[in-house]
Amino acid sequence: MKAKKGKVSVMTGNYAAANAARLCRPEVVSAYPITPQSEVAEQISAYVANGELDAEIVEVEGENSAMNVVCAASLAGARVFTATSSYGLVFMYDTLLQTAGYRAPVVMVNVNREPPGIQAVSGGQQDLISTRDSGWVQVIVENNQEIIDQIIMAYRLAEDHDIQLPVMVNYDGYYLSYLAESVEMPLIEDVDAFLAPLKSQPPRPRIIPGAATGCGTHGMEMGYVEARYKHWSALERAREKVDDIDRLFGEYFGRSYGGQIEEYRTDGADIIIVTSGSAAGTTRTVVDAKRNEGVRVGMVKIRLFRPFPEDRLTEVLKGRKAIGVVDRSLCFGWKCGPMCMEIKALTPDIGRMPILSYIDGLANLDITVPHITRVVDEVNGAAQGKPFQEVTWIPMEE
Amino acid sequence: MVEATKKRNRVFDYYCEEDQFSGGVAWCAGCPLELTARTIPKVLGKNMVFVGTPSCAAPVLHGQNMGAWHYLSYLACVMTGVASSATGLSRYFRRTGQDATVVCFTGDGCATDIGFQPLSGAAERAEHIIYITYDNEGYMNTGNQRSSATPRGAHTSTTPVGKVGRGKPTQSKNMPMVMLMHRPRYLATATLSHPEDFAKKLLKAKEMAREGFVYIHVFSPCPVGWRIDSNNVIEVCRAAVRTNYFPLWEAENGQPRLTLEVANPRPIAEFTRLMRKFSHLKEDDLAEMQRILDERFALLKTLCGASK
Amino acid sequence: MVVKHKNIFKTEGTWSDARKLLLKLDTGSWRTERPVLDREKCNYCGLCALYCPPQCLLDRGDRYEPNLDFCKGCGICAKECPRGAFGMVPEGEFIDEG
Repeated sequence: MKAKKGKVSVMTGNYAAANAARLCRPEVVSAYPITPQSEVAEQISAYVANGELDAEIVEVEGENSAMNVVCAASLAGARVFTATSSYGLVFMYDTLLQTAGYRAPVVMVNVNREPPGIQAVSGGQQDLISTRDSGWVQVIVENNQEIIDQIIMAYRLAEDHDIQLPVMVNYDGYYLSYLAESVEMPLIEDVDAFLAPLKSQPPRPRIIPGAATGCGTHGMEMGYVEARYKHWSALERAREKVDDIDRLFGEYFGRSYGGQIEEYRTDGADIIIVTSGSAAGTTRTVVDAKRNEGVRVGMVKIRLFRPFPEDRLTEVLKGRKAIGVVDRSLCFGWKCGPMCMEIKALTPDIGRMPILSYIDGLANLDITVPHITRVVDEVNGAAQGKPFQEVTWIPMEE
Repeated sequence: MVEATKKRNRVFDYYCEEDQFSGGVAWCAGCPLELTARTIPKVLGKNMVFVGTPSCAAPVLHGQNMGAWHYLSYLACVMTGVASSATGLSRYFRRTGQDATVVCFTGDGCATDIGFQPLSGAAERAEHIIYITYDNEGYMNTGNQRSSATPRGAHTSTTPVGKVGRGKPTQSKNMPMVMLMHRPRYLATATLSHPEDFAKKLLKAKEMAREGFVYIHVFSPCPVGWRIDSNNVIEVCRAAVRTNYFPLWEAENGQPRLTLEVANPRPIAEFTRLMRKFSHLKEDDLAEMQRILDERFALLKTLCGASK
Repeated sequence: MVVKHKNIFKTEGTWSDARKLLLKLDTGSWRTERPVLDREKCNYCGLCALYCPPQCLLDRGDRYEPNLDFCKGCGICAKECPRGAFGMVPEGEFIDEG
């Protein structure tokens, strides 16, 4: 069975996200507007107003409430959706932890934006990084088509009985949120069919009026340890599940993304550039150009950030000569970016090699072809034994 | 033996359910919060969901591992998420045709302070929930720190009385009045010295919550934090009513009316002398307390008159 | 990793079920004084039961008597009884009762 061809049209990342959410038929939606996410909240409200989506919309007074609304509705059995960005994500932090800890399968779009004060109304992944230990599944996508497809896949993952975890789908604010691209929108009946297997699973526990059951009971001693172990284990299981769902999605809809990571021209590569999100497109262009020049370079795009794709990355990075990691956020207190830190943690498995950290693309500054070209050149030099700089803030050196 | 001729108190007629709580629960001896919690499902029935948060109610409202202290459905959530979580539940229950009363049950710390924003939001959106605040005038569960419901002059562990400190310097947030201005479908104040009044209001609340937002503010003295003898808490509730420190009133669609008019209100000192949290107050402090009380009661009376 | 722990929860999240386990504390042991009823004075009006915070006054048909398993000894029943039918007696006097 294959899905029918969807309607092809041009739309922004935010419209793509709202559209994809609509296709998944959420029953309760609550979102608080924040730049650059606002159109997602507006568009979902418009669908409901136009009768294109039958959902309860709760126009809350802040993101913290948005997360509480969808968390509780999810625990009552609803399929839910929310969207936020930057400070909105930070403002719901306490409930973010609760939602994951209570194992509520919430699906949320996070439109990545920097969060230090109001000095940064611009793109960056610091919001995502600040919540990496919240116990959510975190996926980063690259373009508007992937936003659509990943949101559909996110429901399949979140509501899977073996997983039961909230999933955060991240895409670059400004770069994708307001960028209009051509996308193919799946048909709603095909999305129904793709999500149908969730219906035949054993039911998950629900808050039922009149029942003597309750959610959020105090985990006492081993009860708490057990809950944390189960939560941790579910994230461990999520890695393979992401690969499986991506494969199934590919078989049905004809598009797949590599699951946990995307590998691009890594065969025979001496050096690998690791990146994520919309910067992957630029990196691919540079990899192609450099390959033409004879540089044996490949790219790895991190799609799944939590759980971290340790095994898949180890497999692809092992035995290379050098790695460059481009981060769109900071890791305070470490001499590298956050994704670079995590790649460095794989050293016992991938072997010692130069791992160069690059900070770029903060404050909506473009991660350009010359930037990535520079990265490839330096990493290539390091691979050949040339001295290198451990961490480079690319815009600060221009 | 005296003949058992006297009719039982009418409040028993309002009870439709047995006590849903376990016999031995971890509330302090003499705490009216325990009575409040046990009364709510007796009147509302079992088809309810308690939404609570860390507070004096938490150790009993929410279970421990697989065990629980009552036969009711509940959701335990973070301090900032009570009214919003209740919103999520209520919206989904209504959508799916599940008949349920969603009851938020928190202390004044959550309602007037950290959880106020979502409470205000839920009231404005007219969510079909009942929000019950048990007001013990401070953060009692964490050890008697001041809240915005703590009255002026009260000794708490963060407004201690010392060489310089004279207790809390500012007056409390007039929470029932703040909520009245949200024009909820129904609003009521209650206290456990007047159980029939409370039961009537709960019953009304259940009906009104089918149409909109309901707020109930229950005056709930803390025998430990206020330093009251455990046998005296009901008397303290009574004194709060008699002095008009805590008037009993209700409001449908924002139109208040007193449910009990005190014929000859007693001076505030008859209330304050029952506890030691005010024992340092001097005459001028009491006069100021009386002035605040009179001012608030006058406002309430004016609004009651205006609504006639 | 070999997990030896036997699961407490059947669910992935932390859900309690009072039908499977209703928790109870031995709050009767908190008591320093116990209410003792003078049946001569009691007229079965029920005010004691009404105000009792743990709701542990048992209806005996013609009077109310405390369930001493749970009575915390707060003394509200004695204080609120308009006929003074309950007296609070120090627990020490009942020490021999086992």
